[in-house]
Amino acid sequence: MKKIILGLLCVALSQTLFAQQKINASTFGVLEARCLGPGTMSGRISAIEGVNKDEGKTIYVGTAGGGVWKSTNAGASYKSIFDKYCQSIGAIAIDQKNPSTIYVGTGESNMRNSVSIGNGMYKSTDEGANWKMIGLDSTEHISKIVVDPVNPNTIYVAAPGPLWSDSKHRGLYKSVNGGETWEKIFYIDEKTGCADLLMDPNNPSVIFISMWEFRRTPFSFNSGGNGSGLYKSTDGGKTFRELKNGLPQKPFGRIAMTLAPSDPKQMLAIVESANTGLFISSDGGETWNAQSATMNVTARPFYFSTIAFDPKDPNRVYRPAFSFAYSSDGGHSFTEASSDGGWVHSDMHAIWINPAHTNIIYVGTDGGVYSSMDRGVTWQFQHSLPVGQFYHVAYDLKEPYNVYGGLQDNGSWMAPSAAPGGIGNGNWSRVGGGDGFWTVPDIDGQTVYAEYQGGNMTRTNLQNMKGVNIQPQRTINEEKLRWNWNTPIVTGAKNPKNLYVGAQYLFHSTDQGRNWKRISPDLTTNDKNKQQQEESGGLSADNTSAENHCTIFTIAESPLNEKIIWVGTDDGNLQYTLNGGASWKNVSAQVALSGVAKQAWVSSIQPSHFDERTVYATFENHMYGDHQTYLAMSQDMGATWKRLNSDQFTGFAHKICEDFENKKLLFLGTEMGLFATLDGGDNWFRMKNGIAEYALVRDIQIHPKTHDLILGTHGRGIYILDDIRAIRNLKKEVLDQDVFLFPTPDITLSNGKLGWGGPEVSGGWGAGNPAEIPAITYYLKERLSSGKASIEILDAQQKVLQTIPATVRKGINKVYWNLRGTPPRVAAGSIKMEGAGFTAPMVLPGNYTIRLKVKDKEYTSPLTCVHDAGNKDLSMADRKLVYDKAMQLQQLFNQINDAIDTINAEQRLLKMDTIVFNKNKKMKADYAALQKIKAALVASTKTSIFADEERIREKVSALYGNFCSMEAKPNSMQLEAIEVLNKEFIEQQEKLNQILEERK
Amino acid sequence: MQKTLSMMLILFLSAWTSTLSAQSPDMQPLTTRLGEPTLEEIVTRHIDAIGGKANWSKIKTIKTEGTMKAQGAEIKITIYQKDKVAMRQDIAVMGMNGWFILTKTEGWNFMPFQGQTKPEPMTADDVKQAQDGLNIQDDFITYKEQGKKLELVGKDDVDGVECLKLKMKDAEGKETTYYLDPESYLIIKETEKIKANGQEVDNTTTYGNYKKLDEGIVMPMSIIQGYGETEITLYEINKPIDENLFKPSKS
Repeated sequence: MKKIILGLLCVALSQTLFAQQKINASTFGVLEARCLGPGTMSGRISAIEGVNKDEGKTIYVGTAGGGVWKSTNAGASYKSIFDKYCQSIGAIAIDQKNPSTIYVGTGESNMRNSVSIGNGMYKSTDEGANWKMIGLDSTEHISKIVVDPVNPNTIYVAAPGPLWSDSKHRGLYKSVNGGETWEKIFYIDEKTGCADLLMDPNNPSVIFISMWEFRRTPFSFNSGGNGSGLYKSTDGGKTFRELKNGLPQKPFGRIAMTLAPSDPKQMLAIVESANTGLFISSDGGETWNAQSATMNVTARPFYFSTIAFDPKDPNRVYRPAFSFAYSSDGGHSFTEASSDGGWVHSDMHAIWINPAHTNIIYVGTDGGVYSSMDRGVTWQFQHSLPVGQFYHVAYDLKEPYNVYGGLQDNGSWMAPSAAPGGIGNGNWSRVGGGDGFWTVPDIDGQTVYAEYQGGNMTRTNLQNMKGVNIQPQRTINEEKLRWNWNTPIVTGAKNPKNLYVGAQYLFHSTDQGRNWKRISPDLTTNDKNKQQQEESGGLSADNTSAENHCTIFTIAESPLNEKIIWVGTDDGNLQYTLNGGASWKNVSAQVALSGVAKQAWVSSIQPSHFDERTVYATFENHMYGDHQTYLAMSQDMGATWKRLNSDQFTGFAHKICEDFENKKLLFLGTEMGLFATLDGGDNWFRMKNGIAEYALVRDIQIHPKTHDLILGTHGRGIYILDDIRAIRNLKKEVLDQDVFLFPTPDITLSNGKLGWGGPEVSGGWGAGNPAEIPAITYYLKERLSSGKASIEILDAQQKVLQTIPATVRKGINKVYWNLRGTPPRVAAGSIKMEGAGFTAPMVLPGNYTIRLKVKDKEYTSPLTCVHDAGNKDLSMADRKLVYDKAMQLQQLFNQINDAIDTINAEQRLLKMDTIVFNKNKKMKADYAALQKIKAALVASTKTSIFADEERIREKVSALYGNFCSMEAKPNSMQLEAIEVLNKEFIEQQEKLNQILEERK
Repeated sequence: MQKTLSMMLILFLSAWTSTLSAQSPDMQPLTTRLGEPTLEEIVTRHIDAIGGKANWSKIKTIKTEGTMKAQGAEIKITIYQKDKVAMRQDIAVMGMNGWFILTKTEGWNFMPFQGQTKPEPMTADDVKQAQDGLNIQDDFITYKEQGKKLELVGKDDVDGVECLKLKMKDAEGKETTYYLDPESYLIIKETEKIKANGQEVDNTTTYGNYKKLDEGIVMPMSIIQGYGETEITLYEINKPIDENLFKPSKS
């Protein structure tokens, strides 16, 4: 007996586990996010490589936070090919001997403060269709990959290594078996990594590397140290010796270098030092000569580390940096690219020169890819890479609503969430400059606030697009205001007229920033040791507010009580006020007790929509080398905290978002993905839904009217997952059913509010619109692998109006009814497709039934269709008139087809015996008479689809089509036309009847 | 015209690939042991699931009838296949009949609704590209003798099912990726990468509603491509097919 009980217990436990595992990304796989892009302002590009054999048509682009994109048409269009993996790309290399093999090193190596991290090397042997991780997973940053052109199983990888901590996982790595195993072949110390790597194409045993000592903290940056240096190996990396002859006094910072493929003894190096400069070698790096160079050639060496020779011409050199410069004399002098082709985004990091046609060059900037057809003199922007790096996203309450956001090095922008023809590049409007961060609309619908680096903020009037700076200023005897690079400017969740900004103090305005009131003391730790930013940069001064510290980073007003405001800082403080700022309570010590690193940035705060005392917060500590996902909640106003953990989590946490209707539904955005829970945080799953699985999800919003999930990502632009009510409403009682048909909201009868909009402009990134008709939504516990599924729409009399194929996926399914009945059939007789055969009148307002059939079971749900009261062109009486006339035309169309069928049948009968037919004049005459009637009824002689031949059926079809799509009162002549066509048909029908009568 | 041809090819390919899959609806799940199955095991289980090699080896002809619905309008499709000899696909819409024929050496299509007045021959390249379609046998049964390579590349979600993902490549580099249900070992989806005229296009087909036929093989009754679902109403196996159907005529 005990054995049986234990057995039952096991069953019960396994069922519980099964139930817990039921919900995952695939449950909602039918919900596919729209990527709004934009392509207008793209994102930072870190690598470009092309296939040499392919005339340069196949190009792979690696991005700072948007994965890898492939073009097979020289950049006319791109396709994302790395959606399941880390999105931060450091380097790409193609085995040019077998270009199906591609290597990707993750972890960008343009070491700015916002750079993301990678998780090692990946390899594809099928042109990017499938990928396999091949190690070096602790390097965090990879700057170069070189494949031996003679023996492509030999691969070298330059790994600068972690930016924020010491690490042994730096240096130069080598594989001799195509990446199966790796050996670290050159290493200096835990602070110095390998930044650049060159191979002599004529002698693959000759390797050059530059080593780089560097480090960031949250409040400083250092580029340079005695570890940095330039090295050469002539034995395939077995031994290296340092190249010093002619180079300046050490210490060095970052060194960028190149050699001429057509004459590998010719080399150039930009060496960061106390006197950063350009150096030329004509003897394979053995000796170097300093060469004067413009600021653009030598500026910001930690960030601009690319220089390249033309593959065929050793005198032609390209320096993509702050701007684009080129040399025609081997680097002795440089010229800036022309602006004739228009503005080219500054800050360049990647270049690919088509070796077959060296006039053609691609360059990767902080704002996307540009191509040149004239050796870099003029440039054209490639508009179809949606890899914008948003920091935040916001929405307004218009219909359709607009989204707002700020992007790394690309200002602040807004765009509609839907537009005629879909959202294209042209739908985006710029509302702020600089590195764009918080971009927040005011409740007045005419104003937007936008912040750019270091607390600079504007209020822009959307009527005239004029902006005014509204940054609070230091008052007398007050300390210098400390503004985070990504300073928060936030409107109130409870009272949207409240506007807040944070320096080390919190400021509040109720008049759109015209007047500010300081409502807090210094809420940070005010640690003076972390406020030495003017010393930052290392060998080259680099202090662009990115290192500002001890500042407010997060502000959140309770959605339930505007007096409750939470503030988080970049140095570990989490504080709240219950009285609009009169007094503050610091709960950082209590947070730390839950296991959150005490100095971690408070990256987001979500006061609950359901309970004033409940709050969620994310923390991130990656700037101290800690990549844990810190998410915690408190239900007692911060007195105690509970960590919410999951083995699903990857990446440090940026944003927690609680649904405003289902308090158990939470979304978490991290540096590597979007996660959701439907049970308040006990079980989490990675959201996929057409979203890059490791997207850098910086911000999450849920629109209160449309229920859309809006994501701001740092590398994949803005995503909208339309209408997440299917997720919100997926309760346990639904999951327990084999099939569950969700109630369908009332449907407003309309062809949509957006209109057609015309075809998309070619060459840009386009996002579609959300469905304008609510879906019929149902749940299947398992995918239906055998048996049929269908959906029937029944009218009030339970007559089937239309049968729709039902999808059979496991989890949520969505099917759309076109709000019409079944189109009329079309009789044979024409050589053209007849439009009427594909449409029917839109149904009238009223009650309908949805009947879902799955195998032999049926599930029904009522459905109400309502008149579109918002359409002033169509009264209810007009709608009824349009419907009645459309049905009248459908009936006429059916009668015509019946007549054609009758004629076809009679003609077949007449010709059944061709010998008799050919001898019988009367039969021939009848046949001809029938043919004449048919020719009057239907177009049957023209053979081109472009040749107009209108007979009665074509005219009725066209008029019927007009009435079926009509959303206004028909004009008088359209109504008369029905009678005219009816009369014309009757004439032919009478002739037909006469022949039939005679033939009886 | 190229567009028409491509569309016909897609329909055609969907037709022949529909013969790949099969499962007895009452078949028990096969993943009863611990650990992931090997490639060979997957192939064996798939062949078992579709009715077994012995049953498939008896299949010489198939006539398939189906209906596709587009916004309530119906398109009738009929396919005749004679193993390794010829195939024909008829499309009837609005009283018009179009067709596509392929033999070992030639191919034609006739699409009157596109304004065609007479059959048009396929190019030699297109005929060559389409030859694979003459093989009625499941590719998993014959891939080795056809010189194709099969590789297990991982798993992927299709319709909420974490499928086994297999890639098959022929000697000319044409790739087809199959997604198999890990319990039934039937194909849920396949994606064929078509490279033609300098372009690369993915042609995806999803299968469902598998049914065991009297002949012992298991076939999908639902075939979905980008333009909609074709519901199969009839599979007629090993009935003689009039050879004249594989010759071009005007109607």
